[in-house]
Order: sequence, then structure tokens, then C-alpha cells
Amino acid sequence: MRQAHTVKAAALALRAAALGGLWLTMLAGAQAVAAGAAAQQASDALAHDILKQLVEINTTDSVGSVSTAAEAMAQRLRAAGFTAADLAVLGPEERKKNLVVRLRGSGAHKPVLLLGHLDVVEARREDWSTDPFAFIEKDGYFYGRGTLDMKGPDAIMVASLMRLKREGFRPARDVILALTADEEGGCCNGVQWLLDNHRELIDAELVLNQDDYSVQLVNGRPLFFSVDAIEKAYADYQLEVTSPGGHSSEPSADNAILTLTRGLNRLGDYPFPFELNSVTREYYRRMADIESGPLAADMRAVLEVPPDPRAVARLSADPVQYWETHTTCVPTRLEAGHANNALPQRAQAVVNCRILPGHSRREIQQLLRSVLADAAIAVRYIASDGRVLAQAPEQPPFPPQPLLPELMKPLERVVGEVWPNLKVIPYLTPGASDSAHTAAVGWPSYTFAGLAVDPSDDREHGRDERLGVESFYRGNEFFYRFLKVFADR
Amino acid sequence: MIRALTSVTGGLLFTIALPGIACAAAAAASGDDAANALAHDIYKELIEINTTDSVGNVTTAAEAMARRFLAAGFPAADVVVAGPTERKKNLVVRLHGTGKHKPVLLIGHLDVVEARREDWSTDPFKLVEQDGYFYGRGTLDMKSGDAIMATTLLRMRQQGFRPSRDIILALTAGEEGGCCNGVEWLLAHHRELIEAEFVLNHDGIAGYSILTEHGVPLAFDFSAAEKTYADYQLTVTNRGGHSSLPRPDNAIYELADAVLRVGRYTFPFELNEITRGFFTRMAGGGSDPTAADMRAILETPPDAAAIERLARRPEYASMMRTTCVATRLAGGHANNALPQRAEAVVNCRILPGHSKEDVRQELLRVLDDPRVTVRYVADDGQISDVAPAERGTAPSPLLPQLLAPLESAVSATWPHLKVVPFMNASATDGIYTRAAGLPTYGVAGIAIDRDDVRAHGRDERIAVASFYTGNEFYYRFLTAVTAH
Repeated sequence: MRQAHTVKAAALALRAAALGGLWLTMLAGAQAVAAGAAAQQASDALAHDILKQLVEINTTDSVGSVSTAAEAMAQRLRAAGFTAADLAVLGPEERKKNLVVRLRGSGAHKPVLLLGHLDVVEARREDWSTDPFAFIEKDGYFYGRGTLDMKGPDAIMVASLMRLKREGFRPARDVILALTADEEGGCCNGVQWLLDNHRELIDAELVLNQDDYSVQLVNGRPLFFSVDAIEKAYADYQLEVTSPGGHSSEPSADNAILTLTRGLNRLGDYPFPFELNSVTREYYRRMADIESGPLAADMRAVLEVPPDPRAVARLSADPVQYWETHTTCVPTRLEAGHANNALPQRAQAVVNCRILPGHSRREIQQLLRSVLADAAIAVRYIASDGRVLAQAPEQPPFPPQPLLPELMKPLERVVGEVWPNLKVIPYLTPGASDSAHTAAVGWPSYTFAGLAVDPSDDREHGRDERLGVESFYRGNEFFYRFLKVFADR
Repeated sequence: MIRALTSVTGGLLFTIALPGIACAAAAAASGDDAANALAHDIYKELIEINTTDSVGNVTTAAEAMARRFLAAGFPAADVVVAGPTERKKNLVVRLHGTGKHKPVLLIGHLDVVEARREDWSTDPFKLVEQDGYFYGRGTLDMKSGDAIMATTLLRMRQQGFRPSRDIILALTAGEEGGCCNGVEWLLAHHRELIEAEFVLNHDGIAGYSILTEHGVPLAFDFSAAEKTYADYQLTVTNRGGHSSLPRPDNAIYELADAVLRVGRYTFPFELNEITRGFFTRMAGGGSDPTAADMRAILETPPDAAAIERLARRPEYASMMRTTCVATRLAGGHANNALPQRAEAVVNCRILPGHSKEDVRQELLRVLDDPRVTVRYVADDGQISDVAPAERGTAPSPLLPQLLAPLESAVSATWPHLKVVPFMNASATDGIYTRAAGLPTYGVAGIAIDRDDVRAHGRDERIAVASFYTGNEFYYRFLTAVTAH
């Protein structure tokens, strides 16, 4: 999963809660600091080993096994003292098992559920500079499929839980960790499966999903710490054209490939409408106070009713602002033809859409049909299990999540300790994550992870995916400290 | 014949054959009973020897034919079995003539494309006669032709026929693919064995020269030119990324633009001696608009509107232009990731006189987009940045010493059937003999219904009557070619 953070540094000025913890930390005794440093070093070494192990277990849908990764994590957790009663590896099929582990608390509060997915997007050796399933440390980065999305956060969560367990830490609420299958696609989304089949194992008051980096770097400097509190809806559509085919020595004027590519051309040219919702309205309101000059004026102008069309056009020219304010649909796959010397009998494309709140998948399916404007192009919906359906479902939108003080306060405190002066801001992410499933059952769900990434070097799902070594270790320290503070009250 | 089929001229004649012709053809089919029995035996023997590249053996078939020629009294010196590997030997047989003219070379390939028992209704390596058809792999492409040519030579020998020129028959390996194309190997290593004034390739279009519609023959297409086959790979790469953040640069959009540009482009109109002959004879004296258009494109300068109208028919467009068409697409690696790579295969059929590299350059010019690379895909799948620069082989001239006997043999077998010169849009072994400077013609007396061409496909078959008529035709034709 990933997001489109605004690149505007001005977001830093968003009002955040006053930070109380910083000075206390700085005044701590030198001895305690040294002991803490040693423990942190040990935790970093452990997190490193776990990340290496996870990256080197192929968990792609095509040939990988999530179960292998889940079992490997279970083995580590057992060694750290988690008992069979608090540890389960289970799922609907051999390669798609999920891990659920529970760190018992005093029961003062209802549990918190930590979420991470173990599966990764496909990666082909020939596209990469290094073996995507070998963990490689080079020039200050960890390379490998999943380093960022999201075996890095998985390793951090496992290492933190093991550390807390070994310390004998007793939280005020149970901390449940679920490491799951098929977030990136495939038959068996683990979160949905657990909700449907073992809800008692993961029942929680709120959900913290680590499937997104929160610290955006520009020129090496962190800008803000984002918490995703609303998501776009994810939808895949299949475009299909069939034609009679025949021998390629006598091409006819038209064929399935040309019909499909003409449709894709129209899709590429289609201007999706500019739209705001309660979160993005608030976002621009705050940003306009921070920005200055024409940009600030444009941000105010788009908040007018009706919005100023020229301001909309200027703002939308920035790709990041575009993603924030538009549903997007982009072709991600093509497949056509069966032999070099035969006319294609079938041409298919997958179009991936990220839908703003307020629109259903079925509505976008209709929109695609009208944009493609060719009855020869069938538009079908691809369900998350890969089934192709004539009709897309009416999906309930991801509602804006309430900003609970029991989450925001400790988060702001620990963020301020680890990255002094960094502000926490709520965010609409254009990405999609498993939070959609837990939000749909009414559990407040938030996505954030203490990893720092420069958006211009964001390689999630791409080739040569990587994560800064320093970013990983800082994220490891952050999560341990955050979890301890958060779960202690 | 390599790479499947072209649908040719079938059904496009405006002077449709008279209803009586089918009956006349059937009557002529009876021919010589002994010759038909011999042809059937050879046919059966060849079909039942598996000559696929994977597990078959062309040498076994070549040796079986050699035994028949030796038994019929051909001197051992005139029956040569030779080739570069154990399984890929070729047969070369010579029937001596008076020496009045330089020899004629007959070529036919013995190898067949793969056939899997489970795909077929019958065992593809058994000759099965059923419901008026011969079934089996190679019944059309082209063990029928091999059997007919061998039968013709044996028959001539038995009759003591002294042709006006040596008749050389080469039955060869590796036409359908595999390591060792027999014609190419013989030209390179034993050219003296097959040196000839011209070549008759029984492969025709794909083992046949006549398309029929509901049993009525439409025209006798003898091929005298071939287009060059070439595949190109169009590739766009991109740094990819997560699909939630689409960017204006997108490998699939860029490839789609390229494919559409290729689709909109038409290569220049160009005729050669063979295609001029094709349109001339197809038009004849017809008074319908299509015939008028055909005459109009033969004018100097050609009528642009007439070209436009005729080019709407793919079978005519392919005769006057190089064609390129996108046949495959592939792109992306995950539904939720921006594509890092998108590729298309563009298949081109290139007019004689142009090279594969010429066409690659033309594609680059048409695309006019540095983001799209155009590479050449060789027959073995190897991809290279540049395509071969050799020009496609020139059309073979319409030799009167060939045309006159062909027309007389055709009219004796199928009265009133037009003889039309033809340019193959796909390749046969004729590319090797033409490249070596030997005029080459595809002539096969086999007639196939236009909706029933099963070469390379499952349940390959030809009508029993078509086989025997073709056998009789070929004897007439070859006798006429070598009589004077």
C-alpha cells in the first residue's frame, strides 16, 4: 500500500498537540540511556534478521507461500515465550495462512489490533538489478521485494512484540498482531477471512495498520507524520475485446488489439472530475493558511461554492493534488494474441481504479463504459479473489475515521520524541489497504508506520524496491516506544 | 509450408465457374488406376512414418522412397540420400532426359508439423480414409505432393519416358522448422545434385493451388513470388510504481499509441510482375466494378481511389502492400502496479525488393517516438536491435516454357479454370531456391475447400477425389513441361 503525501512542506505547520515528552526524555539519566541503547541495538539486530528472513521467503501470489512466512514468525514468537494459546497460524488454504498472536494485557481496555500483510507484489528477476528475493544491504539501503511494502513494518512489529514479551511488559489492553495473506490480491484476503471465520481472535477496539510510511522526506528532511484516516476504494476492471482472428498475412482493417488500444486512448484522455470531501476540505483549509501567494489563493478558491475552475485546473496540474482530488483509473496490464503469425482473437486489459469516497465500484464501471464508448469493449469487475463478474458491487465507502485522543496523544508524543518538532496530520490516502475491511465492520482503523521515505524514491510495487537502513532502525525504535506508551494506558 | 495459411483468392472471382465444372473435375479424377493405387501406397507409407521435428525421422521416409526408386530401376548413382544429421537426411533422385534443356528441380518437404493424438479425432500418423477424405498429419502439407511427385517419376520411368530435360526430385527435411532445412543444405553442400533451370515446388500455397467453394474450383493459383515474413517487438519500459499514483508517463498508454499508429499506417502501393499478372487475370474482361478497379490500378499512374476500394479486401491489400499488424500484447505484472514494461508483437509481410531492416526503419519513422523501441524477432525467437538487411527475393519471371504447359494441363483437368499468378504472403522453401537465383513456382493440383484448410491444424485432411485428380494433373503437367 502506499499513499500520495502532499509534498508541501507547509503542512508542517498544521497544529499538533503540544509535546510533553521531549524534555523528559532528554533529562533521563545517562545510565538509563546507555542501557536503553544496548537494548535498542539488540532489537535492531533482531528486526534486521526478521526482515532478511521475510524478504527471502517468496510470498507472491503466483509461486510464493505466505504460510511459510507465517510459520517462520510463529517459531520466533514461540521462542520469545508466546504460548500456543496465544498463537495461531490458520487460513483457508495451504499457501495462504495467517498468523495471529496476542500479548496479554490487564484488560483495562479492549484490545488493539495491529495489522500487517505478509504477501508481496510479483517481482521478476529480469526487471531488477538484484535478486528481488535476496535481502541485500548496499549504500545505506535494504533492497528486496517487500522491504517497504511491507515486510519492513512486519519485522518491526514482530521484533517489538518479542521485546515487550521478553521484558515482561503487561499492557493495559491486549495487543493482537495479525500478519496476513493476499492484501496485494489473490484468492484469500487474510483480514477478511479472519473477520469472517475467527472474529474472536482479532476482535478489537481499534486497528493500527502499519501498511504505509508516514514520514515524508524532502531533501532528507522529514516534513510531517501522516495518519491515514480515510481511503480511496480499490477496484480492478477487466476490459475485453474479441474478434474472429485469422491469419496475419492478410490483416483486416480492424482487430481486437486496435479496438482495445483505441479505448485505452480515450480513457487516457478522460478528465475525471475534481472532488472534495470533508477530509480534503479540512486539508485545504489548513494548507491555505500555511501556504502563501498564488498557491494559497488557489487553495481557498477551490473551497468556494462553486469552486473556481481556473484554480481547480492549476491545482490539479500538480500530480499530488490531482490524486487527492480525483478518482483515478489507469491500465496496469495488457494481454492479447496467441501467436505471432495469427490475428488476435482476444485482447484484454486490466484497469485499476482508486475511487474517491462517495462513489461505488458499480458507478465507476458505468463511467468506464461511457468513457470507452465502444460496445465492443466489455467492462467487467475483477473481485479480490480474481473472479471476473459482469457487475461490480456497490461497495460501502471507507468512512472518515474519528481522531481518537487515546491514539493521537501518545502518537504525537512519541513522534515528537523520535523526530523532534514533527507534526502529526490526518490524511486521505489514495492508496487502499486492509483497513477498509476493519473499518467496514465498524472498528476505527488507522494506517501509519514510522518509516521515512522520499516520495521521489518510492519504489513500492516497482523494481529495485528499497528502504533506507537508517529509516528502518528509526522506525523500529519508534514503534517499540509508541506501542509501549499507547498500550500502557 | 511454413507458418500456416493465407486465404488467397478464393471466392473472389467474378466470373464464377460453370456448374458443370465440378462434374468434369470428378470425371477427370479417375485417371490411371494403377498410378492411383501406387500413389495411395506411397502416401500411406509416408503418412505412417512420423517425420515431426520432435520425435520423427525424415531419414526413414527418405530411405523408404529411395528403396522404391531403386526397385523401379533407377541406377544407384541417381538416388542419393544425404543430410547433415541422422534424422534429417534428404532424398535426391534424377530421371535422366535427352539433355535438350537444363534440368527442372521438383521440391517437396517430407517433414510435418507436430500433431498430438489427444487433439485429433484419429491417429494423426495413420492414413485413415473416411467419408470421402484422407485424414492424417501431412495429408495436405505436403505428403500428398510428395507421393504424387514420386508416383509421377516412377510412372515416367516405367513408361520409358525420355523428358527433354533431366527431372530432379528433392524430398527434404526441416521446412516446418528444426535445425536442418534440406533445400538450404543441398544448395550449400550439393548444389551440383540439384542444379536446374527452374524449380517446381509442390508446396504451392500450403500444399494446394486451388481453392474451391462448395466443391467448385475458383482459380488455379500458381505462386511465383513470396512476401518476406518478419516479426518485430515494440517495447516501452517505465519505472513503474504503485497504481494508486498514476503518472502521465505510462508504458501501456505509450504502447497503445504506438500500436494505433502502426494500425493507421498503410505501406506504399507497389506491384510487381506477378501481382500485375494476378490483377490482370483476375480482372479479365469483367464488367463489374471490382474488375474495373483492378484494371484501374494497373494504369500509369494507378487510380488512387481504386486502390483504396480494393485495399478494403485484405486478400487484395496483401497483394499490393507490405502489411504490418499487431498480433500480440503483453504488459504489466500486477493489477495494482503501474506497468514497468509493455510489449507488442507486430507481424509484417514484406513485398519483394524490401529488407526486414527497411521495414524496421519504416516502423521507427511511423512511430516517431523515442520511448518505443523496435527490435527484430528472428524465427528462433532471438531478439536483435537490427533486422537483416538482405532484400526479399525477387519474383520469378513468368516463363512461357512453363506457363503454356501449365495452362494446357489445367484446362485438360479443370476446363475453363483460370490460371492466376500468385504471390504467397508467407514462406515456403521457395525462398531458398529463389535466393540462389533459381526461378521457382508453386504448382500443386490439389484442391481444397476454402473453409476447410486444415494444414498445421487438427484432423488435417484432403478429399480422396482431390488427391487422385491432383495425381493425374501432375503427371499431365510434368509431361507437358518436359515434352519438348
